[in-house]
Amino acid sequence: MRAVAGIGLRSPHLAEVAHDRPATGFLEIHAENYLTGSPALRTIERLRGDYEFSLHAVGLSLGSVEGIDDAHLERVAALAERLDPALVSDHLAWSVSGGRYFNDLLPLPYTEEALDVVVGNVQRLQDRLKRQVLVENPSCYLGFIHSTLPEPAFLGELVRRSGCGLLLDVNNIVVTAHNLRLDPMAWLADLPASAIGEYHLAGHAVNDADGEPILIDDHGSRVSEEVWSLFDAVLDRYGPRPTLLEWDTDIPPLGILFEEATRAGRALEVRAGADARAA
Amino acid sequence: MLGLRDLQAAFAGVVKGEGQPRLEAAVAGDAITAAARLRVYRHHVEHSLVTALAATFSTVQAIVGEDFFRAMAGRYVACDLPRQPVLAEYGAGFPTFIAGYEPAASLPYLTDVARLDWALNFAFHSSPANHLTAADLSSLPAERVAELPLALAPGATVLRSSYPIDRIWRVSQPAAADETVDLGAGGVSLLVLRREDDAAFVGLSEAEGAFLSALERGQTLEGAAVAGFQTGGAFDLSTTFARLLALKAIAASQHHFAERVEKAL
Repeated sequence: MRAVAGIGLRSPHLAEVAHDRPATGFLEIHAENYLTGSPALRTIERLRGDYEFSLHAVGLSLGSVEGIDDAHLERVAALAERLDPALVSDHLAWSVSGGRYFNDLLPLPYTEEALDVVVGNVQRLQDRLKRQVLVENPSCYLGFIHSTLPEPAFLGELVRRSGCGLLLDVNNIVVTAHNLRLDPMAWLADLPASAIGEYHLAGHAVNDADGEPILIDDHGSRVSEEVWSLFDAVLDRYGPRPTLLEWDTDIPPLGILFEEATRAGRALEVRAGADARAA
Repeated sequence: MLGLRDLQAAFAGVVKGEGQPRLEAAVAGDAITAAARLRVYRHHVEHSLVTALAATFSTVQAIVGEDFFRAMAGRYVACDLPRQPVLAEYGAGFPTFIAGYEPAASLPYLTDVARLDWALNFAFHSSPANHLTAADLSSLPAERVAELPLALAPGATVLRSSYPIDRIWRVSQPAAADETVDLGAGGVSLLVLRREDDAAFVGLSEAEGAFLSALERGQTLEGAAVAGFQTGGAFDLSTTFARLLALKAIAASQHHFAERVEKAL
C-alpha cells in the first residue's frame, strides 16, 4: 500500500461512505465488527472496488498465555480471505484469560517469558493467514517492575523472531510515555525501520488518577498537537507509511475525520517531497 | 516474580473487582499508585462492555434511562464476562439477569423487552440464507409435505409475552410519538426475522405462535398444525403457511430436507 492517509470506518459513517464514496487513501475496519452475518459486511464487500482496506483486529489476544482462541482465529481468517485486505494487524496486548474476554488491551510484562508467548501466537496467526501481520504498540497505564526489556526493544525482538511487521501508533507512544514517565523521543530511537508498515493517529483524553493527570487513549477527540509534533519526528526518522486517523468514541461528522486525515496526508507529502529532493 | 499465567489470572480477578495484592505489588507505582493504575483497566473493561450492552439493548435503556441501565448492566458484566470478542454476540444472558434484578422488579415487562431486543440483534447478525418457497413444495404430494421436518429461517425467533411488548418497543424508539401503552392490553406472540437490510418483528395470532413454536421444537408440518389447532382459536393452516412463506420465515436447503424430499419422491 502507498504511504497515504486513510480513516477508520465506523458504523455511524458506513451508509454515508457507501453512498457518497468520498476520496480517501484507504479504510480500516475492526475485524470483530464484521464477523457476523449482518448486512454491514455486504456493504464493505461492495466498497472493496473503490477502496483499499486494512483489517485491524482487537480481540486476537496475541499476549494470552493460553494462546489464540481457535474459533476466533478461524473467523478472522475467513474474513481476511473474503476481504483480502492490504494490511492486517492486532496489538501487543492480551484480552483473554480463563476463556473470558475483557474487551480491553491489557498490558504485558516485557519479559522473555512473555516474548515467547507473543512470538508463538503471532507465528500461529501468520501461519493461519499465510501472510505477515502488523503488531501495534499499545497505550499503557502501568508498567511491571519485573519487565526486563523496554517496550521498543520487546517489539524489535518480536519482529526479529516472528517476522511480523509493526504498526506504530503515535498517540499510544505519547500516552504510554506520559503515563510511565518515559521520553517519547527515546522510545522512538531504535525500532526496526523496515518492519514498520503503518502509522496510527488518534486523540486522547486527560483524566485524573490520585490527583495526577493520566492520559487515556479514548480515540474521542482531534489529534493533539503533541502527537502531531511526534508524528513529524516519526516521519523524519522512519519515513512515510500508510497513516490512519482513528476516532471511536463521540464520533464526529465524517468531515472532521477527513480534515484530520488531510492534515496527516500533508505531513506525509511534505516528508516524501523532502526525501525526493534529497535523493 | 509473577509468571505470565498467574499475572493474567490475577488481572482477570482485578477486572471482576477482586483485590489482588500480588499483582499490585508487581505494578510500578509513583504519584499514581499501582492500585489507581489497575483501576483504569477495570473501569475501561466495565465501561466498554456496558456500552456494548447499551447498543444491543437500546430499548431497555430507553425505558429505564441511562443511569439505571448502566448500573444494572455493570452488575451483569461483573458476573458474566464475554466468552469471545464479538460484542454483537454478548448479552444472551442479560434478559434472564434482568428478571432477577431487584431494582427492576417494578417493571415486570422489562425482561420480555430485553428478549425482544436480543432477538432483533440475533436476527440482524444472522447470515442471510435461502428460505422455503411455495415452488419448493409444489412438486410434492400433500401427505409428503405434511411429514416434512421444517425449521424456522436462520436468525428467526418466536417470542411470547404476557405484555404488549410490541407496542412498548415501538413507543420507546428514538423517533416515536409520545404515546402511552396500556400494560393490561394483553400479551402478544411475535415472530422476529432477519430481512434484507435489517431485522424486524411481526405479530402472530396465538395459534400461529403455537404452530411456529412447534416447528422451532422440530415438529413436522403436521405436528405443528395440530399444535396450532389445539390453541382453540381460529387457525387456518393454508393461510398461515402462505403468510409464513411470504415472510420468508421457513428455512430451506437443509441437507436433511433435500434428502427427505428425494425419499418422498
